[in-house]
Amino acid sequence: MRRPQPRSRGPDAMVVEVGHYALVLALALSLVLTFIPAWGAHTRDSALMGVARPAAFAMLGFAALAFLALTIAYVDSDFSVLNVVQNSHSSKPLAYKISGVWSNHEGSMLLWVTILALFAGLVAWRGAHMPQRLLAYVLSVQGAIAAAFFLFILLTSNPFARVMPAPFEGEGLNPILQDPGLAIHPPLLYLGYVGFSVAFSFAVGALLEGRIDAVWARFVRPWTLLAWAFLTLGIAMGSYWAYYELGWGGWWFWDPVENASLMPWLAGTALIHSIVVMEKRDALKVWTILLSILAFSLSLIGTFLVRSGVLTSVHSFASDPTRGVFILGILIFFIGGGLTLFAWRAPVLRQGGLFAPISREGALVLNNLFLSAACAAVFIGTLYPLGLEALTGGKISVGAPFFEATFLPLTVPLLLLVPVGQSLAWKRGDLLGVAQRLAAAFALALAGAIVVFAVTRRGPVAAPLGIGLGLWLILGSASEIFNRSHRAGASLAVVLRRAAGLPRSAWGTALAHAGLGVTVIGIAATAWGVERLATMKAGESLDLGPYQVTLEAVVPRNGPDYRETAALLAIRDGDRLVGRVEPGKRTFTGRSMPTSEAGLLTVGLGQVYASVAEIEAGGSVGVRLYWKPWVLFIWLGAVVMAAGGVLSLSDRRARVGAPVRRAAPAAVPAE
Amino acid sequence: MTLWIVLALMTGAAVLAVLWPLGRAQSQQPSAETATDAAFYKAQLAEIERDAERGLIEPSEAETAKVEAARRLLASARRGEAAGPLSATAGRRRAAAVVALVGLPLVSLTIYLTLGNPAIPDMPLQARNDRAAPDMSMGQALARIEEHLAKNPNDGRGQEVVGPVYMSMGRFADAERAFAAAIRILGDSPHRWESLGEAQVAQADGIVTANARTSFDKALALDAKLVKARYYRALAAEQDGDKAKALSLYSELAAEAPAGAPIKARLDDKVAELGGKPPQPSGEAAQAIAGMAAGDRMTAIRGMVASLDARLAEKGDDVEGWLRLVRSYMVLGEPEKARDAFARGRAALASDQTGRDRLEALGRELKIEGS
Amino acid sequence: MTRKQRRLTLIGSALAVLAVAAGLILYNLTKTITFFKTPTELAEEGFKPGMRLRIGGLVKEGTLQRGPNQTVHFEVTDTNRSVPVTYQGLLPDLFREGQGVVADGALQPSGEFKADSVLAKHDEKYMPKEVAEALKQQGMWQHTGDKAKEAAPNAAPAAAKPGA
Repeated sequence: MRRPQPRSRGPDAMVVEVGHYALVLALALSLVLTFIPAWGAHTRDSALMGVARPAAFAMLGFAALAFLALTIAYVDSDFSVLNVVQNSHSSKPLAYKISGVWSNHEGSMLLWVTILALFAGLVAWRGAHMPQRLLAYVLSVQGAIAAAFFLFILLTSNPFARVMPAPFEGEGLNPILQDPGLAIHPPLLYLGYVGFSVAFSFAVGALLEGRIDAVWARFVRPWTLLAWAFLTLGIAMGSYWAYYELGWGGWWFWDPVENASLMPWLAGTALIHSIVVMEKRDALKVWTILLSILAFSLSLIGTFLVRSGVLTSVHSFASDPTRGVFILGILIFFIGGGLTLFAWRAPVLRQGGLFAPISREGALVLNNLFLSAACAAVFIGTLYPLGLEALTGGKISVGAPFFEATFLPLTVPLLLLVPVGQSLAWKRGDLLGVAQRLAAAFALALAGAIVVFAVTRRGPVAAPLGIGLGLWLILGSASEIFNRSHRAGASLAVVLRRAAGLPRSAWGTALAHAGLGVTVIGIAATAWGVERLATMKAGESLDLGPYQVTLEAVVPRNGPDYRETAALLAIRDGDRLVGRVEPGKRTFTGRSMPTSEAGLLTVGLGQVYASVAEIEAGGSVGVRLYWKPWVLFIWLGAVVMAAGGVLSLSDRRARVGAPVRRAAPAAVPAE
Repeated sequence: MTLWIVLALMTGAAVLAVLWPLGRAQSQQPSAETATDAAFYKAQLAEIERDAERGLIEPSEAETAKVEAARRLLASARRGEAAGPLSATAGRRRAAAVVALVGLPLVSLTIYLTLGNPAIPDMPLQARNDRAAPDMSMGQALARIEEHLAKNPNDGRGQEVVGPVYMSMGRFADAERAFAAAIRILGDSPHRWESLGEAQVAQADGIVTANARTSFDKALALDAKLVKARYYRALAAEQDGDKAKALSLYSELAAEAPAGAPIKARLDDKVAELGGKPPQPSGEAAQAIAGMAAGDRMTAIRGMVASLDARLAEKGDDVEGWLRLVRSYMVLGEPEKARDAFARGRAALASDQTGRDRLEALGRELKIEGS
Repeated sequence: MTRKQRRLTLIGSALAVLAVAAGLILYNLTKTITFFKTPTELAEEGFKPGMRLRIGGLVKEGTLQRGPNQTVHFEVTDTNRSVPVTYQGLLPDLFREGQGVVADGALQPSGEFKADSVLAKHDEKYMPKEVAEALKQQGMWQHTGDKAKEAAPNAAPAAAKPGA
């Protein structure tokens, strides 16, 4: 299993060099894509604009080929490739050889730009019915971003650099990176980050074309939703990985790396809401364009702050000046260029529809205000220490207390308002009517909170309040669906039929908001968590929340590429065995430092979490144990949110824009 | 040669991707741009009507919404007329075609010839294993032994072989397990017990634990002359605070050690530290130790040092490696080789001032000439 | 409401939210940031007990003591001064004597630093940046090599393993 399979490739196969050349060709094509369609759009020359789509497909093809070639080099442990030597090892399991491709700087950049090319290809594929000039500009911008990164990769971070004579073994066997969560986390996160490039390209394209309206919004919305859904999943995956791998039992640490992904998410969340206003009411144009630029700018900053190491140390940025300066140049060019173009062209945009402060639009403006403020708070908290250090040399750290004290007051009011905003009518809302429609949901949520409080009298007060808030979000979404399908006197069958007939975007919205409620409940329930630190001998038991934990034995054992001392723990509820967990300390082949491997037992939606602190002489172990009721709600909610986003983007209306002769017949049978 | 054909085909495909759309007959109507808008607003109107029919919105709201959408549809049509028709001139098309035909291959080949290594074929490890088995590195050899042992955990010989390798890599816990397994499978032997004890000491960061002492006692029960076991027994006494016993054990060892051997100096230091007088070695005992040092174990160690040497010859910027190599040759009693390694290391670290300083400091410490 | 009033209401509420946000950020920044200090700075600048600080340095060799219930005592040193630290809880995998460490917590009246979180080197290439810089400033920077590498030649002849 660990041995690479013999291949049929001949001894003089040149996959690596073919991949290298494919990368160069992708660069050349991205340059063509940058200039020719934009030229065509500028001169209204449809022949030149016609180059955009095939060039985008070809660029995707060659980028994918380069990525595939590097993957093959990893799978075959081709140690004539420097990148493979530095980041792989022949004894790694196959799956981690593959994930090793993007576990390092060069490979992850290649993945990043391949995904960028993928999005360009997807836009080209779906763009057959888009206005031709807009498509040409959008793909040109996408091509320009790709060109910058292809150049960056080829000139400063080339994954295809060779080494001669080739060593016989690689150096990369970091056991902490050998984890399924971490293996799929970067691709998901990048799909999210890079997905916002489409919104950016649309915004810049629209500014260049000087035309932004509801049609634009409808074309850009599915892409933004897609990026947002991936980013949501990526963040959730990262959070879950940190939760079980780092052994600290928490799920969010306000670490700069985490914040770097949270910022584009907040901006992206604001964006998917403001785009709706633009699509329906032709309002908030300038703001939506600005958000599109900001969401991708924050994605860029997120990727590169993490990748350049500037978050770890301002000085590590300077340790490789070429890369640092190149990255800085790219950031300044695209963010600065985007914003300058915005400042220059935004005034020419026509003002859109009017609306009263109390209306769906008004509520969405408030949503955007809170989200942007929260995003700014995270931004300042994350970058302030860097700025201060660069300016004065003073060293400070802004930790969880700052973010909790700032982020919560900015998000809780927003969460309280979600069901209200959702039920307000467009243009001019009726608060009294909304209050009547939501009364039942509010009463139920309040009752839920009170019941929870009564049951857990001695527990923390925040938990029932949080549960109430979560219920309010879920029930508010349910009530919105109900109110839109219910009419006085209608039978259940009619209500159901009408509910099924609601547009998918309505269901998507409700689902995403309910998912948010689920996450809020999970977060609130962490207040009931139990933590125990103890030194146990075999046979000893201790109480952990509702369970009793017994250390049955401490045993050594072998894994595929590590040795482990595991503590076998049995979890009992009275006499009933609930399950076993086997946390341990692992020593990987070729390493002297052991790593902790946590043990997790899922009971319903809660988890028992155990990690080994210290293996002591005489068979006793120091263990840290947690009981975390309902903790899975946190990530489950995120998955539900992402599902809501995907449902919303699959709305058939998102595909309108096809010529009438196609759209019209399709609309009839759908009724 | 095949590579160049493949690269040429790839270039051709890329050029074609640009040329093909340029060459296509354009059937774009001037109104095409506004057609999308019209479709969009008409769909929006239809949607409002459906919503109104189903009672999702009030009729009055539906009416205003329809008016608004209709207004935007008109505005879009006006804009379309104002913008004028799309154009396509042969001149621009020709320019773009030249870019694709000439510029694209030129840029690609220039960059690739600068950065690429068209002469180096793929070297998947599997293919190389078959071709170059003799040069197997330590890591690879270890991986093979481990794989073998995972399948045949009762191969005592294998356990015995892998133990010292683990020791050399600092994986003392694994070494202890391997030696213990070797004893379990192959039975007692003074050297196995001695090695086990050594692994136990190393794992305890140099403390001779009770377990380690038991191992050394067992080793000495089988062969009372074992030098290492006796050394550790002395060390244990010293660590216990039993100075008198430690002194007598050390003195006994020091008396046997040959003059000039590194072990001799260390033992003398120990004796001096504990307040004793370094005794003169007796000829016989020196012979005995010299004989022992040439055992199997030393062969293995020499092999390891040689592989380190080979690695440094390839990749010379490893300061720690050079320090280790010089020290190892001195310890192995090969001052010429140490001197040679020292000189090579100094040359290899020419660009690394701090590294060279460290190496030279070691040279002075070990009294290597030329430092 | 007229067009103008609507716009004013919107702008007014936007400004209100932004003002609240700005106020929150500024207030919390002044209240919750922690300063990073080396043991020398800690000793020389004189800090009131109870103030939240982050200290960093190396775990001084020979000072690590484990107590009951995973309490640990150790000293953090920048090779110039050192400060005693107590901590209860799970130590990171890479926590070792002689390795870089960063601790968050507060000084006790006794002069001891009570940590509520301890971070060690994140991986073998990474050292908490504050530690690396503080050590660099003192000219003490040295790459702490892997234990395995150091041990290799020492394992060769018997007597080269000094033990004590």
